[in-house]
Amino acid sequence: MAVVHATEGVVIAGHFGFAAGVKARAPAVPLWALMLASQWLDVVFVPLLLAGVERFDAVPGANPNAYGGAIIYADYTHSLVGALVLSAIFGAVAAIRYGKHAGWVLGLVVMSHWVLDVPMHRADMPILPGNAGGLPRLGFGLWRSPAASAILELAFVVVGAAMYWRAALNVAGADAAMVRRARFCGVAVLASGLLTLALNVAGM
Amino acid sequence: MSFILGLLLFVVVVGILDARLPWPSSTRPRAS
Repeated sequence: MAVVHATEGVVIAGHFGFAAGVKARAPAVPLWALMLASQWLDVVFVPLLLAGVERFDAVPGANPNAYGGAIIYADYTHSLVGALVLSAIFGAVAAIRYGKHAGWVLGLVVMSHWVLDVPMHRADMPILPGNAGGLPRLGFGLWRSPAASAILELAFVVVGAAMYWRAALNVAGADAAMVRRARFCGVAVLASGLLTLALNVAGM
Repeated sequence: MSFILGLLLFVVVVGILDARLPWPSSTRPRAS
């Protein structure tokens, strides 16, 4: 249950929205890989949480299951250097299959997770893995205002879905069946983002 | 649940739907 709870209060939909926007700019990179890349730090976080290497604490007085209600000590996956290493590994593996350009794009999308998390987290993101050296932890703490955090994530979802939708229609060309397919994909991206955000904000 | 559902929706469902669109490919030559 700890895994379920720990992944409920984190940024989820916003990362997916960002990945959808990237697809519009890098259409040759598979969407599924962009989506997976956008969550890679959290995917790796799960087994480390199970192993007790990383952990999360409830914000004093808050429900730890609430949206943004936890202080997350993901000291390896969400450290600046750790995120860079995970990004490089993901990008390098992707480059073998999809080429150097896709590898760079996917590696940068993995790193975007860390960049987008910094404004949200409550100064719990270390610079070095394991918080070596005791350097100041990063995070601007937008989660102190769940409403503002949700609005920011919503903006990423809507803008990313809109960029994806437009690119999908462009690539569909004049073929009516393909246009219908592109619209369906656009709806699916937007609906998935809104559903994920709604469940996350509801603490589910 | 939102994290796991999000992964399923975006990586699997949307990923499969999107793959049916004629995007340029990094691994295959573009159709002429």
